[in-house]
Amino acid sequence: MTEKIQWHTEMDDALCLGQKAGKPILLDFFNPN
Amino acid sequence: MDTVTYPESKVVRFIEENFIPLRIPSDSKPHSDTFKVKWTPTLITLSPEAQEHYRTVGFLGPEELIPSLMLGLGKYHFENDRFDEALIRLEQLVDGYGTSGSAPEAVFLAGVCRYKRSHDPKPLKAAYEKLSASFPDSEWTKRAYPYRLL
Repeated sequence: MTEKIQWHTEMDDALCLGQKAGKPILLDFFNPN
Repeated sequence: MDTVTYPESKVVRFIEENFIPLRIPSDSKPHSDTFKVKWTPTLITLSPEAQEHYRTVGFLGPEELIPSLMLGLGKYHFENDRFDEALIRLEQLVDGYGTSGSAPEAVFLAGVCRYKRSHDPKPLKAAYEKLSASFPDSEWTKRAYPYRLL
């Protein structure tokens, strides 16, 4: 088990992984400033 | 979220087990426009087909984020007509986080799931009774008010 959330940063990658894993995506829009 | 909520081990575990986690800056085009993001943090439960099922805006501590994510999972399954899977998530929420802000909506939606499975209206009335007893001031109790007559 990882100790940190392994965030993806590309929408297409996450959608593709979600389809393969049969999991939804948790999309976090964060403040970059 | 980065200093309080996301470092919590149970939050890490829950997200890694149940989601593909994706972080995007709120000024990232075209996504911020596509999802009409106006404030941060905005957290969206998204299907792998990019359909939005649930969103929250604003800070959530660990004890509110996990039930909120459970509700998102419940809605994800519910809106895809997977009522058994939705019920599992919603019952987990009510059993484990029954005093959270997400609990009243979960009770409401669980009643609807049970009705959808059986076409028996009794679960709708039971949902209203549970809501009126446990969350008398919730908007979800008001939304379930007609079910008292079933």
